[in-house]
Amino acid sequence: MDLLTVSVTARESAGEPYTLVEIAGEADVTNTDELRRLLDEEVSQQPHTLVIDLSGLRFMDSSALHALLRVNRSLDRQGGVLALVSPQAAVAKILRLTTADRLIPVFDSVAEAAAG
Amino acid sequence: MNAGCYVRRVRHTVTQRPPVSRAGVLCLLMAREGKTAQGALTRQPVPRPDGDRPLPSSDEPVSYTYTTDLPTIRAVVHRYAIQAGLTEARAIDLTLAVSEVAANTVKHAKSPGSLKIWYDAKEIVCQIHDEGIITDPLAGRRQPSLDASGGHGLWIVNQVCDQVEILSDETGTTIRLHMTLPPA
Repeated sequence: MDLLTVSVTARESAGEPYTLVEIAGEADVTNTDELRRLLDEEVSQQPHTLVIDLSGLRFMDSSALHALLRVNRSLDRQGGVLALVSPQAAVAKILRLTTADRLIPVFDSVAEAAAG
Repeated sequence: MNAGCYVRRVRHTVTQRPPVSRAGVLCLLMAREGKTAQGALTRQPVPRPDGDRPLPSSDEPVSYTYTTDLPTIRAVVHRYAIQAGLTEARAIDLTLAVSEVAANTVKHAKSPGSLKIWYDAKEIVCQIHDEGIITDPLAGRRQPSLDASGGHGLWIVNQVCDQVEILSDETGTTIRLHMTLPPA
């Protein structure tokens, strides 16, 4: 079983395109490099809105959190927006503890996130 | 002054600076305020990782060696945390804390780490040892900026655990994480 799976789809919401990235499994220091590489690829496409669905992610450590924060900084610089969706308890906890959830908006559904 | 022992409350107030008891050893101890049976706030006794305070139960600890297999470590910790009687939310906290410490082994230590778990009716303790060395006496005590490229791991550990003991010297680092169990 893969520890971490990442799937990317191009979508549209009210005529506006957005990128949906679904991360599932467990993200930690042992696969952060791969996660970062995949996310960097999406950021380099200069999406206006990048939505990361975390509902399938059972665990995230601070290394993986740094990867998300890095995406947020990059998108900020290029005028894009990052939104997170449906973190499970363990993931919500680290987002809350580090106050990353005050920096990056967190939504209950992909539709809400895409609508901003 | 040689390596110091700092006793701190979790809310970052230096309350006491005891005499150094072991030269050459960097010792960071913290005690979270705990309630006594009478409901008064007292500082809990400050244990040392080298054995000043008895560990829970007389049983042999559960013991694991790990290199990069963090999912297994997390599964083991979560299972014992629930078995010991922690709530799901606090089991998640302990699992996160152990994973962050073990992640430091993966990042910095050149050899495997070991995990030991003890619990009794009062608390569960996870001890992680590796050959890495922590040189910053305030490691994990300051909240890193969200722009920082690292440093969140030990800070998170200090936030979620009831008590964190760090002992680091030239032979390696031992970190003990304590979680108080709810009354049965």
